[in-house]
Amino acid sequence: MQMSQSTLFSTCIFVLLVALTFATFSIGEAGMAGKYTMLILLAIAMIKSQMVAHYFMSLHQTRPLWRLIMLMYFVIVGGLIAVAYLIGLA
Amino acid sequence: MQTTNMISVKESSLEKIEYQNLPGDFALWIFIFAEMLVFGVLFIAYAFSRAQNVALFNDSQLTLNRGFGAINTVILITSSYFVVRGVAAIKKDLTHQCAYWLSGALVLGSVFVGIKMVEFYEKFNAGISMSTNNFYMFYLSLTFFHLMHVLMGMVILATIIARTRRGAYSAKQHTGVETGASFWHMVDFLWIILFPLVYVIR
Repeated sequence: MQMSQSTLFSTCIFVLLVALTFATFSIGEAGMAGKYTMLILLAIAMIKSQMVAHYFMSLHQTRPLWRLIMLMYFVIVGGLIAVAYLIGLA
Repeated sequence: MQTTNMISVKESSLEKIEYQNLPGDFALWIFIFAEMLVFGVLFIAYAFSRAQNVALFNDSQLTLNRGFGAINTVILITSSYFVVRGVAAIKKDLTHQCAYWLSGALVLGSVFVGIKMVEFYEKFNAGISMSTNNFYMFYLSLTFFHLMHVLMGMVILATIIARTRRGAYSAKQHTGVETGASFWHMVDFLWIILFPLVYVIR
């Protein structure tokens, strides 16, 4: 059975999401901590969430306003979490 | 020649990009944005509460089963992928395939619930409750609140599967499938943030 181009693309996104989850888990298992680790883990989480919203939810085909709202959500929530963690580290 | 090129450039720039509406019912999108806002506030509250007592949060976090969290993340991502395949199938009028993909997502949803139950059982068995400390208050309330959304998503998926089997959706009319799919994807990406926040970042 031949996969359509959009199905193949969704499959690639799925594989990437699983790979990034494994990366997050491995960082946790390695006991890594600190400012840069926190920023990398947060960035991975926000990129993964954005990928689900953009490609799985098909927001990439909608008006730029909806994509902007979703992007701003991840930027603001991720940004404020980062600020809180930096305060904790200080 | 140059004039012809200019005209074609002007024509192409006047071509309107056709955007699609938000997938599914717009009323559900209001609900999705509201839920995102609530979870967003809870995530930020967790992070600022942690900043007040980093040592307590780090020590308590070590008692969580990170493996369960990671497995549940992969389960939700896989179920989301199944839902994508289900939506793609109904758009091609493949109702049986759509029902199979969505059933797969539903099964994975129940595996997620099962793992979460084991996790909660372990914690309650160890005498941990919401009043133990601030970390557990956030951990239990965030994950339980999310679990409620998973259960709600499963009810929606089960309804859509039953309706799909009865032939209620087709390539022309599949708003219901897209509506349920959007909700399930929201449940997925909220967990994608919750997992590293509560289980990994320290």
